[in-house]
Amino acid sequence: MSSRENLVGRELCRFTYLVERGKIRELVLAIGDDNPLYTDPEYARARGYRDIIAPPTFGTCIDLWGGMDFTTLCSKLQLNPVKVLHGEQEYRYFKEICPGDRIEAVCRLSRIIDKGKMYLFILETEYFNQEGELVLSSRHTIIERK
Amino acid sequence: MKQMETPVFYEDFELNQSLPPLTKPPVDRVQLVRYAGASGDFNPLHYVDEVGQKAGTGGVIAHGMLIMGFAGQAVTRWVPNRYLRRLAVRFTGMTRPGDKITVTGRVVEKRIENGCGLVVGEVIAADEKGEVKLKGSFEAALPLKSTPL
Repeated sequence: MSSRENLVGRELCRFTYLVERGKIRELVLAIGDDNPLYTDPEYARARGYRDIIAPPTFGTCIDLWGGMDFTTLCSKLQLNPVKVLHGEQEYRYFKEICPGDRIEAVCRLSRIIDKGKMYLFILETEYFNQEGELVLSSRHTIIERK
Repeated sequence: MKQMETPVFYEDFELNQSLPPLTKPPVDRVQLVRYAGASGDFNPLHYVDEVGQKAGTGGVIAHGMLIMGFAGQAVTRWVPNRYLRRLAVRFTGMTRPGDKITVTGRVVEKRIENGCGLVVGEVIAADEKGEVKLKGSFEAALPLKSTPL
């Protein structure tokens, strides 16, 4: 535990992800979300957007395809993969994310909480676009059962 | 000429108002494989039964983020994407293939802040037996009817 405590407050990883039209389409098809804002550029442009936009849970694609996949996370946090659960997820939205955007994500471990039967790991990630604008932030709570 | 969404205003929401439920088709294994590929979450717990048996879940379970995706779909039907400021959930139950998820919502708070109409809602995803899979909240900053868009 002590070596994990040393990670608290520190940057865990930083990665860049290029938003692809096809990835947005795959995600909304898997969810079964038929909102044309995610697939039809004409429809999105007619509503004032520069292109199709990413759906509210697209942050997961940025993380997992961008560099912070499950294996990487377990190794950085020294987690036992079979004891790990996704406890909570929060997103805050600041600006739309569109295909072609180059997102830089910065992930920090903000807290480790000992709940007795489990540990909670709170990860906070900020996502910036190619203009340096904060577009999204995430607070991800990982549960590790003891 | 720009064709906007049907205008939605702060005044369209009432405190304690129930929002239209969204019922999804039953979750199936193809969907879990599709979601694994789309999201990049290849934890075999979501598509290999034996892994589920070992992990004590009694078989494959859906990705929590898939169910949050359902919640996101419902929320963006209630408030247009451009006004959504926050979506937060706690995963409380496991979803298995065959579970039919319904997302329900309710307005729990309304206030005007910096010229915007802030609406806070509760969002819950549960199966047909009423077992809750996730519970959370959303916040939207909506225009007021009294101010020009």
